[in-house]
Amino acid sequence: MRRLAARRAVRTKRGVMSTLQLWGQYLPQFLAGLVVSLQLTGAALVLALALGTLLVLARTGRIRVLAAIATGYVEVFRAVPVLVLLFTAYYSLAQMGLRLPGFWAGVVALGAFYGALYGEDMRSGLQSVDPGQREAAVALGLSNGTVMRRVVLPQAFLAFLPPGTNELSNLIKDTSLVLTIGVTDLMFQANAAAAATFQPMDMFLLAGLVYFAFYILLSRILARWELNVQRRRS
Amino acid sequence: MSSDVVVDIQGLTKRFGARTVFEDISLQVRRSEVVAVIGPSGAGKSTFIRCINYLHPFDAGRIRVLGHELVGGGAPPSKATLRQVRMQVGMAFQTFNLFPHLTALGNVMLGPMETKRVPARDARDKAMALLSSVGLADRAEAYPRRLSGGEQQRVAICRALAMDPEVMLFDEPTSMLDPEMVGEVLATIRGLASQGMTLILVTHEMQFAKEVADTVVVMADGRVVEQGPARDVLEHPTSERSRTFLTRVLKPLEAPGVSGEASPPGGSGRGATTALGGDVR
Repeated sequence: MRRLAARRAVRTKRGVMSTLQLWGQYLPQFLAGLVVSLQLTGAALVLALALGTLLVLARTGRIRVLAAIATGYVEVFRAVPVLVLLFTAYYSLAQMGLRLPGFWAGVVALGAFYGALYGEDMRSGLQSVDPGQREAAVALGLSNGTVMRRVVLPQAFLAFLPPGTNELSNLIKDTSLVLTIGVTDLMFQANAAAAATFQPMDMFLLAGLVYFAFYILLSRILARWELNVQRRRS
Repeated sequence: MSSDVVVDIQGLTKRFGARTVFEDISLQVRRSEVVAVIGPSGAGKSTFIRCINYLHPFDAGRIRVLGHELVGGGAPPSKATLRQVRMQVGMAFQTFNLFPHLTALGNVMLGPMETKRVPARDARDKAMALLSSVGLADRAEAYPRRLSGGEQQRVAICRALAMDPEVMLFDEPTSMLDPEMVGEVLATIRGLASQGMTLILVTHEMQFAKEVADTVVVMADGRVVEQGPARDVLEHPTSERSRTFLTRVLKPLEAPGVSGEASPPGGSGRGATTALGGDVR
């Protein structure tokens, strides 16, 4: 009995050593993958924020047709799985003659999806501002633009931050889907390393840890930022 | 009418959909006059006062404010007209509506800096002077949520005064306040009246109306049921409708069981539904 336990301990120890060795060996690839994942996140975020802004402008604007299109867009795009959008951007657009490199197909798909979400977040941020705020600003004689810039947007931004940062955390994780169209992101590198070493558990564990570390880092930074913005106003 | 009239309201009518909030209201307000609009909840008092700076568009009638004309129905007034009116007509709200992301000082500075391009230094000096005048110099750097209701309302009054308005509108300025804070806000308003500011206020403070107002307008059921010198209206109302309202408001304890649409002033302001219910049909 005791011998068995000892043997298992030895094996576990050897396992930990070899896992660490493997991780050390593949770390450069993983980091290169992480860089691609981050670039993808950044580019998709820019696209999503731009798209979200356009959507919220269209939805709150006076032109009915644009508002209807924007509403339809949001309804459709947030209802479709990101993977479907990704394959559409990569394969279907290529069939129609628009051949996007994998990275940019990823940016388009993620941007299109998260744009719909950001559009909603921005809209609810704007709606969260008490109508009395607009009234008080208007009653001072401020122009519509000034009311927006000095009174409504600063408050809407505060309401937008929590769901907005939450969306960003999800975006980072969803970038892992681009593995399926051959973009050499973090998940792709993990998959390749798993295939090469026959140690899928070790490799995906490392990928998970890298995502986790980055997620924690980013969410801490965002939370602190949120807190700062809030504290500055109390 | 003499040129002394700063606000001239003729035949003002406001509807929300099929429901008429009030109809055919006329009122002239002279420079330095203090007009108190009273009446049961749901009578349309707040909606009425909000038409004067066009926070609410109206359906018929016209309002001439300091030479600018707002006409009901048809197309809305030009942006330039609206801004002129609003820059000269200050307003304080029932819920204060201070900007929560700005300090008390920032709230008071915003209007002049954004509309009149007043330099920050001058705007700050003026704002500080105004805050000092209402006893809030030491709260200048505080954000609204750190201020009591009474303090918030006084800051809100300063914010409106920073624009150097010719007329001040007060929309139930004390009805959201705890009783012990009502006095400080009323004192501020009383100060404005004594300085000759033209005031139009919707209020449930009958004693205050009697003391400060020159003219009292009683609104009920979407009409002006009585209008005249404050003391006459409050002490010897001639219309039956204002008599029942005033009886209940001035002597709430002596007329407990009287049924009717008016809710006593201290009661929840949301008793509005009963009075409104009568209008809806």
